[in-house]
Amino acid sequence: MKSILKAAIAAIGLTAMTTGAMAADWTPPGPIKLMIAFRAGGGADTQARLIAEDLEAKLGWKFIPEQVTGKGGMNLAMAIKDQPNDGSVIGMVVTETLGYNMMVANAGVTPDDFTAITTTAGFQMGIVSTAEKGWTSFADMIADAKKSPLRFGVMSPKLADIAYLLGEAQGVDFNIVSVKGGKAVMNGVTAGDMDLGFMAGIQGKGVAAGDLVNLASALSVPLKQTPEAPTLADLGVEFSADGYFLFIGPGGMPTEARDALAAAIGEAISTDGMKSNGMITKAFGGPALIAGDDAQALVSGDYAAAGALLEAASQ
Amino acid sequence: MGWLDYVWMGVLAVFQGPELINLMGLPIPVTLAMIAAGFLLGIAVGATPGLAGPMAMAIALPILISVFGFSPDALLPVFGFLIGIMKGATIGGAVPAILFNTPGTPDAYMTTLDGYPMTQAGQARKALRVAHFSSASGDTFSDIVLILCAPFLAVLVERYLDLPEKTALLILSLAFIAAVIGGSVGKGLISLGLGLLAAYVGTGEDFYPRLSMGTQTLAQGFPIAAVVLGVLIIGEVFKSLEDLWSEARNRRSPRPPITQSGDQRLRWTDIRRLLPFVARSAVIGTAIGALPGIGSTLAATLGYTTGNTRHARSGARPRFGEGAPEGIAATEAANSSVSGANLIPVLSLGIPGNAAAVFLILAADTIGGFNPGPSVFRFTGDVVNPELVIAFGLFTCMMIANLLNWTIGGAFMRSMGFMSRIPKQILLPVVLLLTLTSIYVQETRMAAIWFAIGFGVLGYLMRRLGMSPLPFVIAFILGAKLEETARQAFAATGGDPFFLVSSPIAALFMVLTVGVILRSTRKSKDLPT
Repeated sequence: MKSILKAAIAAIGLTAMTTGAMAADWTPPGPIKLMIAFRAGGGADTQARLIAEDLEAKLGWKFIPEQVTGKGGMNLAMAIKDQPNDGSVIGMVVTETLGYNMMVANAGVTPDDFTAITTTAGFQMGIVSTAEKGWTSFADMIADAKKSPLRFGVMSPKLADIAYLLGEAQGVDFNIVSVKGGKAVMNGVTAGDMDLGFMAGIQGKGVAAGDLVNLASALSVPLKQTPEAPTLADLGVEFSADGYFLFIGPGGMPTEARDALAAAIGEAISTDGMKSNGMITKAFGGPALIAGDDAQALVSGDYAAAGALLEAASQ
Repeated sequence: MGWLDYVWMGVLAVFQGPELINLMGLPIPVTLAMIAAGFLLGIAVGATPGLAGPMAMAIALPILISVFGFSPDALLPVFGFLIGIMKGATIGGAVPAILFNTPGTPDAYMTTLDGYPMTQAGQARKALRVAHFSSASGDTFSDIVLILCAPFLAVLVERYLDLPEKTALLILSLAFIAAVIGGSVGKGLISLGLGLLAAYVGTGEDFYPRLSMGTQTLAQGFPIAAVVLGVLIIGEVFKSLEDLWSEARNRRSPRPPITQSGDQRLRWTDIRRLLPFVARSAVIGTAIGALPGIGSTLAATLGYTTGNTRHARSGARPRFGEGAPEGIAATEAANSSVSGANLIPVLSLGIPGNAAAVFLILAADTIGGFNPGPSVFRFTGDVVNPELVIAFGLFTCMMIANLLNWTIGGAFMRSMGFMSRIPKQILLPVVLLLTLTSIYVQETRMAAIWFAIGFGVLGYLMRRLGMSPLPFVIAFILGAKLEETARQAFAATGGDPFFLVSSPIAALFMVLTVGVILRSTRKSKDLPT
């Protein structure tokens, strides 16, 4: 079931861009309130603001960005839930928000209470350490971890579960240290407070410079930057940290509003020369668009799969 | 990338940043313009009794952020402006103290003791020159110490302190702040505890928001601007309004004008005579500034008393309190040299020691891309560490502000005498409105205004009870960091419940924490004040 879903998503992701022209007639009823679930100034926040800037410049729509941070996007989800669903309020979260986080938060909502508009970019999630550690492969790290427990930096509860399962599959104990945001993991790893950690694309520059090493891919596919690093499946973990940045709206948004927003965002981030396109290409290896019903199916799938991960990690 | 490269890049970040206007082919970088604007505003604010530097910084911050946005490019212009205010207010505070016997800022109280007698003796302009010279010297000295010390301290911290030690250090700093600010350690601890309580509403690791009493309004926690500005600024406005009301009932008669005469210039012989006092006070101020929480008022008092002892021993006239320029020099050098050194704990540990530092941390937190703390001073190999560039840019801003202080500061300061005639009944409502507006600009939801007023009432009550609001604000800012570091330390030690005492350094910090509190309780029993 899961692999079929993944294949479908991959296929549809490619065709998503062609849906652009369909709903071009729709215009927002007024300024659009853009809620952002990420701390001001970080990579994700910059991405959301640049997209708004591009759409303002291109289509003349007006955006009012607002930070609604915390609880892995759940604060934003709870805040956007009862807002008008005519396209005048949208929010940027990660797919994990409507998946794992929503399942764990148990706040009486499901992905069906929201409208998934479109994804923008995927994570390039790697398991990363500094080059100073002297590990050139995942196996080197595990050999050291067998001697004494290593500190594993994570930035979300889902990743903490995955780190735990990875340790279990490899027969080692990790001391899993949870911090806020990928930047904090990188700082912790570089400063030596942690030995290794998850980084979702922020490691790119450091890996290229030889200061950091991608030991493994935390995705279901190899990393673009380090294709030879093993994936989680290769390492005996059947779950992955696949995820995307996602625009959502309140539940029941009219299809033409949803599709027009998705098309506008999709076009902005895939057009060369747009600010958001430049940023996404640099930080996340290019846009990854899954829009409309497919995006909805993606988060519903994640939500359903969260139970399995929780169960596996609590055994 | 050697450290010299970083210094140079920091300087370039200031001068080659986005330009404001092009003046006949000469680009004026926006950071430079912001430092100058902040500095002049700071002098005006410092010269106005009832306004203080942190107030202007608080109101300016949300407005600056809405102008410059959240990109890392915004950091230096915003820091430049804030540092300008900080430095300007320090020298501005002496103006009304000397001219009208009313300190413009609390730390200028000691300046009135000799400044006003000099004015009465017809030496007002000379007194202002002495104040400016000593203030600028103290400030510059302190900045140099900061620039030399902060990077090394940060590198030491990063190299020798692990997560449990960092947690213990945070606890020690908070305890120290609670113990030294205000008269009583008990009140300090209550203030601190309330700050931590407020910080923990709605935050935490769980997806379920804690302490929110089920409302969505509290689930995101208290907006930081609303809390800090509410307690620090609105509370102060409420208290001042009350003071104004009680003052109105016993109004004093206006003072007769004093004619100024004699040599008003500051001669080389004067400077030679003042220099030992300036130097002693600058060292005292810098040492005090480097410890979080003690503040410039104590520095001024210590500087003045030390200067007084020396002066009395030499038997020179006039004596302290009778219009001695040395008295002004000793006070102003001490209170001004606190500001630079106060950034040592900010930059090397991420711990703010006074209200001005609180707003610098707030600016960094809100804009993002710069996290004050030991990780800033990582001299990386091939990849540029942008935070380090910002840090050296910050130092450059401070040095430019000092340059402005030495060149135009004195003249501008001497022209600010009229500021103390602004009636408070007009000033205070303006401050209140500006504060509420700037909170709304940053938070854009009405709940933030209600929170701000609520915390304003709290700040007022704390002041009425003689409880300093500063431990509250510092605890509120450090609360999340303390929790995060403690959780991480616990996880990183593999769930060791005794992580705070199981390593020698952490255990030492914890012993010191208990020691600081116990010592302060003993002291407050000895001195029944």
